[in-house]
Amino acid sequence: MSKIKKKRVGFVLDMTPLVDIAFLLLTFFMFTAKFKSDTENEQKFTIKRPMASADTSKVPEKDLAMIKIGIDTVSNDTAYYYSLSNEQDRKIVYNSDKVQIPDEARQKVILKITDLNVLEAILKQTRSVNIRMRFAIDADKRVKYKWIEDLTTVMRKSNATIFNFVTDRPS
Amino acid sequence: MGGGGGGLSVQPKVKRGSFATVRKKKKRVGFVLDMTPLVDIAFLLLTFFMLSTTLTTPQTMEMSVPPETENVEVKQSELLTILVRDDGQIFKFIGDKKTNPPEKVALKDVKALSINENMRLENKLIVSLRISNQVPYELVIKLLDELNIAETEITQRLSAKGMKRERKFALTPLTDEDKEDLKPL
Repeated sequence: MSKIKKKRVGFVLDMTPLVDIAFLLLTFFMFTAKFKSDTENEQKFTIKRPMASADTSKVPEKDLAMIKIGIDTVSNDTAYYYSLSNEQDRKIVYNSDKVQIPDEARQKVILKITDLNVLEAILKQTRSVNIRMRFAIDADKRVKYKWIEDLTTVMRKSNATIFNFVTDRPS
Repeated sequence: MGGGGGGLSVQPKVKRGSFATVRKKKKRVGFVLDMTPLVDIAFLLLTFFMLSTTLTTPQTMEMSVPPETENVEVKQSELLTILVRDDGQIFKFIGDKKTNPPEKVALKDVKALSINENMRLENKLIVSLRISNQVPYELVIKLLDELNIAETEITQRLSAKGMKRERKFALTPLTDEDKEDLKPL
């Protein structure tokens, strides 16, 4: 008889702590979330970065000129891809008449460059627009060193003597 | 509807609009709100943000190369040259190539080599890297990483002796002459 009396009608669980924790985590992930930039949106290749354990500094977010060396996933060929983090600088550099690129490329975020002379003109133009610009080389670990060597030679010519190699931390 | 139409009823005490008395009787004890939909949405958003965030941010290895115009004269005895052949094999020689022929070194020994030579010459050593343009970029970074790891130890050891570390380092292309020299090894 007593069993029947204790029958739970409308069982209620206090969810308040659960909700507290859920919202705490939610706010944390919402604030730390970084969304894809325009550059990444336009990118048609993925870069497998080399691992380096001694590096600790992070890639700067402001005044960054990124030179990517990627292998196209479809055509399998390698090329330089240039992008600038500042939108204003990008417009000035891409629309400069010293830079010999096709007109439709001037509207893009990433420039695909295969000619080293064009790259040199762009680097020089970038440095004249913004002297604080920092250069980063983000290359796929499978590319031949020749690509880096050519790039550093061009960078020396355009006086961009300090640059960063982008690497990943070994897990 | 409690006292709405009770004008002619037998309860004159209950006036129009006197809901308050009725409400007081319904006093809520232990108010419970169904939070299930809230929790559903919260967790949905939580999973979305958790899966869309990338926690690993790339790092950088800073390099500085001399401008093209600069030409530095160095003492040969203070020069350690590390060569990387087309097949990725690493060689080293100190000073002049003719008196000190290049020897093979394993990648994992580069760190010890850099530390030993730097401590021997106490801050005067110049490391020159001559890398073949045929090797994968990954190997170059691995080699630079080994040298960077050695660098922290060298800095520590030198500061223990009261010296300030000045790193001298050069990246130069591998010449055809070097290639010929390394062929029989």
